[in-house]
Amino acid sequence: MLEYLNVYKSFDVPVLSGVSLTVAPGETMAIIGHSGTGKSVLLKTTIGLITPDYGDVRIEGESIFHSNQNTIERIRRKAGYVFQNAALFDSMTVFENVSTGIPEEQLGSLRFREVLKRVAEALELVNLDPRAVLSKLPAELSGGMRKRVGLARAIVGRPEILLYDEPVTGLDPVNAAIVHQLIERLGRELGVTSIVVTHDIEGALLISDHVAMLDAGRIRFVGTPDEFRVSDDVLVRAFLERDAMTISDRVLEVV
Amino acid sequence: MQVELDMGEGRSSEALLPKVGRPLAVRWLGALGRGAEGVARHAGELSLIVWGALTALFTGRVSFRQVVREMYSMGVQSLPIVLLTGILSGVVTSQQGGYQFTGSVPLYVVGSVVVSSIVLELGPVLTAVVFIGRVGARITAELGTMKVSEQIDALESLGRDPVRTLGAPRIIAGTLVLPMLVAFANLIGIAGGMLTAEATLGLGRETFLYGARLFFHAFDIYYSVGKGMVFGFIIPVIAVHMGLRTYGGAEGVGRATTTSVVYMILAVLILDATFPMIFLR
Repeated sequence: MLEYLNVYKSFDVPVLSGVSLTVAPGETMAIIGHSGTGKSVLLKTTIGLITPDYGDVRIEGESIFHSNQNTIERIRRKAGYVFQNAALFDSMTVFENVSTGIPEEQLGSLRFREVLKRVAEALELVNLDPRAVLSKLPAELSGGMRKRVGLARAIVGRPEILLYDEPVTGLDPVNAAIVHQLIERLGRELGVTSIVVTHDIEGALLISDHVAMLDAGRIRFVGTPDEFRVSDDVLVRAFLERDAMTISDRVLEVV
Repeated sequence: MQVELDMGEGRSSEALLPKVGRPLAVRWLGALGRGAEGVARHAGELSLIVWGALTALFTGRVSFRQVVREMYSMGVQSLPIVLLTGILSGVVTSQQGGYQFTGSVPLYVVGSVVVSSIVLELGPVLTAVVFIGRVGARITAELGTMKVSEQIDALESLGRDPVRTLGAPRIIAGTLVLPMLVAFANLIGIAGGMLTAEATLGLGRETFLYGARLFFHAFDIYYSVGKGMVFGFIIPVIAVHMGLRTYGGAEGVGRATTTSVVYMILAVLILDATFPMIFLR
């Protein structure tokens, strides 16, 4: 169980204004919303990369914000985080990058061949040929490949929770579909709890069990994809129609 | 004049106050408070880095391979520039001593001046300054780039503490390597001074060494190497601290690096001024 409890965060201006959300084990929750509504900030609070001004985030009842360093590291190892720009270690090869995703205590007991096998499996899962990319540096990869290496690094540690920050932004439709299938498969087959922050509404509705819409730092809507599709909330409708003008028009109508 | 302020939700009232209307004393107090807050924050963060590095060291959670790699990068690769600086400091000190003492003081005193100046002061300080330029700036730029490109966040998300993973090996390596570099700089500086004295003043090596022994204490070596160890500790601590608090993209990395260099030089000079008060009384 993943719980956001009344989370507030501001960077001079408020970004999150009392977000409360619960994600059940094994569930895939898509968090959508326009740019600047605090989606990525909310995701980063999950594992304490950003500390809320007020409120708490709990993973299986444990709060990362009230723990010592060892507990923080242990909680973080339960989660894999896919960064928007991949955030690969640019002085390391793909092999070194992905193997960093294996928890240190496991790395110490694994032989090199076993590490290599796990790294190769993770790369194959994200549709990358290990032999072609293992020894390459991130700078030698395309944007889409970097993104998939970032995803491989997040899943190689076999996390219980996966946090995706714009996982398909910058990917071509084929690779975007592969990533969507992978998110769905990891949730279905391995019971991984996933939170997907995305602008890709079609993909979000396809892969998620629940959709949460953030607006102005608050949860505007939570429900199943079907409920989202038929919602009569003015902003949800506007978001579905992807028409920026419509938003202001309908807001004006309401006002 | 009454100013009506529309305070948006969550906005601090201070940010919205019209600055021109504040009395001078209030602005001074505000600046003083912000300065004190900044110093306290730096001190707190530096303490946490030192604590993190020490606990990582004593719990055996530092990568030995990473420490060796850093020692090679900081030590072996810095050696040429350190030796060059050392020899030049010896050459300059020797010539300056010759200029000042010729005709007034026995020239063997040049040996004393060269050795004491280099061992007690020039060797450790000049080596530290070279180390700041070559190693400290590199650490801040490296970690700063990692910070702004979310690589530090990625490391944390993988359950690895950046201070333990990136900071501790650099701090340990710096503490071990700089004293060795200081020792090399001292040796080459004295050799340079001796050869220069021979070439420019006609001072024989035995006479130079006689002068050198005259005011030399074995403690001076510990003092010199000890300074190197303290500088070698504080330089990477500041560099790591400044790197990990970088923000604002490429411009931020540049800003953090230059600020870091200034702080490192200041720290070395302040510590250098403190050392004689404690150990040479």
